[in-house]
Amino acid sequence: MKKTTSKRMFTFGLVLLILVLAACAPLYAPVYTVILLTSILMYMTIAVSWALFSGPTGYISLASAAFFGAGIYTSAILGKALPLPLVIVVGALASFCLALLVGALTLRLKGIYFVMFTFGLVELLLHFILWWEVTICGTTGRVVPPAGNATVFYAMLIILVILVLTVFIIRRSRYGLALFSIGENEEAAAHAGVHVTVLKIIIFAVSALFMGAAGAAMATRWTYIDPRIAFNPLISFMPVLMAIFGGIRPLYGPIIGAAIFTYLEEFLITRFPYYYMLIFGIIMVVAILYMPDGLVGLIQRLWKGISGRKHADT
Amino acid sequence: MKNKGWIWIFVITVALLFLAGPVGAKEAAVKDKIRIGQAISLSGPLAGAVAIAGGPIYELWVEEVNKNGGIYVKEYGKKLPVELIRYDDKSDIGTMTNLLEKLILEDKVDFVFPPWGTAWLFAAAPIANKYGYILIGGPGGALKLKELSLPYFFQVLNFSETQAPALADIFKGVGVKSVAVISRGDLHGIEYGNAMVPYFKKKGIDVKMNKSFPPGIKDLSPMLKEAKSLNVDAFVAAAYPDGGMLLTGQAMELGIDFNAFFISVLPFSPKLYRGTFGAQGVEGVMGGGAWNAKTSPGAKELVDKFVARFKEEPDYWGGLYYWSSLQHFQQAIEKAGTLNQKKIRDIMAKEKFNTALGPFWYDKDRYFVNHPGEIGQWQKGVFEVIDPGPKRTAPPEYPKPPWPKK
Repeated sequence: MKKTTSKRMFTFGLVLLILVLAACAPLYAPVYTVILLTSILMYMTIAVSWALFSGPTGYISLASAAFFGAGIYTSAILGKALPLPLVIVVGALASFCLALLVGALTLRLKGIYFVMFTFGLVELLLHFILWWEVTICGTTGRVVPPAGNATVFYAMLIILVILVLTVFIIRRSRYGLALFSIGENEEAAAHAGVHVTVLKIIIFAVSALFMGAAGAAMATRWTYIDPRIAFNPLISFMPVLMAIFGGIRPLYGPIIGAAIFTYLEEFLITRFPYYYMLIFGIIMVVAILYMPDGLVGLIQRLWKGISGRKHADT
Repeated sequence: MKNKGWIWIFVITVALLFLAGPVGAKEAAVKDKIRIGQAISLSGPLAGAVAIAGGPIYELWVEEVNKNGGIYVKEYGKKLPVELIRYDDKSDIGTMTNLLEKLILEDKVDFVFPPWGTAWLFAAAPIANKYGYILIGGPGGALKLKELSLPYFFQVLNFSETQAPALADIFKGVGVKSVAVISRGDLHGIEYGNAMVPYFKKKGIDVKMNKSFPPGIKDLSPMLKEAKSLNVDAFVAAAYPDGGMLLTGQAMELGIDFNAFFISVLPFSPKLYRGTFGAQGVEGVMGGGAWNAKTSPGAKELVDKFVARFKEEPDYWGGLYYWSSLQHFQQAIEKAGTLNQKKIRDIMAKEKFNTALGPFWYDKDRYFVNHPGEIGQWQKGVFEVIDPGPKRTAPPEYPKPPWPKK
């Protein structure tokens, strides 16, 4: 009993230390490091919010780009009229409402049908906004008022912290358990009295909320956006890969996956511009073949191997 | 057992990669070269376009400069060779903005070259400007960029602003009475399409059709058929190479002929366009541009050098524009005698230098104005400049001969 509390204190302290170090980064780190950290925070946010819904339920969503894009477009439309924090809130809500609507329509779909639909959603939104911009507004592409590097960094940090707390609370509540039960056996969960559809829709929308917020904040770094830039399919696939790489189940899996992936990509792209895709691909194949529970699972297994042997002697 | 070995090898490899990470390129104590950074699309959907339009010109320029020992900088009292550092933005704007800031802040390059594409240029210009880096525009351009009014940004390539009136003049001159306009649904297409219509109307040319199509569409034959049913003289498309290839291929297959056939971004490429459809196939097609070996002695020299180096002809739109802008840039550095951005910028903004295309200078908005040509037309395998006026290398061929029968 005592051991677990001290362990918990240690984890808490460690997280707090990392947070404080990160929060002060703009004060001591070079500007480019802050920019890179912002990218890492962005991918962490998308990967964690993706894993919030898809991790326990097993529903693979490829709609991340749609929700991220909704945030970006909110920023493009309202960026000049409203201050940044408000733009982020509106972007998050827009994304949330979109996910509620889409979720209500489609969360009856299962397996590959759901995957296909969510990916289709990205294209659907892309072309709808394109059509809207061209025929109603007579243009495409908008200029987003830029914000400072440190501002975007803090915005992303705050979004991530709120997200992680939300995920933590949801997972420890009965709704978290219910979510896992959906992933294990949806019919059984329904019979046990879980409002399967309502729960799925709400969690889907909550995960979209944070993606929208991230999109609204990040758009200020890009100055110019058009539908093709806002709804980039890469944003749908990257969080899935990151979460698989880090480990989907534990909360810190996608966080570690996103951090390593973003850094690795940045490193490979500048060092081996012509081969990085190949190296990246090999790493991914190895990860999927030999690390079924991701990096976190691998470390846990190795750790168990070492400590298990120790215990065997006593 | 075997599995575990693999896992360890993998973990160690990743760890080693990370350890190697922070050891960055250190700035040499003695200045022995000029380092220029460029974040451009080496992979992804834009990579093909980079290779046919613009990309190789920058490489050729660096090689040429180094062949002559480099650029003389008075501050260092010697010629400094140039090194081009290229990063791949994966055809993604977010990656490009990150890499551009990495080049400026971490690699501390002396200068930056532009990324590829109008939207990319749009995102890069404010960043370069923020850090006081000169950005000479490459492939891309839009009226919207003027609104940002950035003192360190120089626009080189021509676009709808000067090409649309030239095309209207050419059409009026040859006797085009009616036209169908289609535009790609993006910044380039919409702006270009909207810019052309008023010029056509002013010249009394009837615009019978004006429609946009979504980027990435796989069938444009309905638009060709609709234009044909309206019996227009000229078919005009504000499109990118993907759409242009589709239009040409479908018009050819269906045997839909117009007296004039214009595509904004594509015909300038001898490799992609003439190479795919043959000199006979593209005969009479008009496109944005334009220049050719007859434009000036410097242009002839560029074609020869390019063919010797890459075994193919350069693109006949931006090729000479970028090449000459780099020659102007080099002379500005030599005149400034320093690598200080502000001093070089001030010289670039007001000085006129001689380049491959002739005298080169920027107007008060820092837009290059002395274009070697606006509209080109394929005639017997040569992309002729057909603008009215002294830049013309051949009169327009009208009506365009029918597509060759297969």
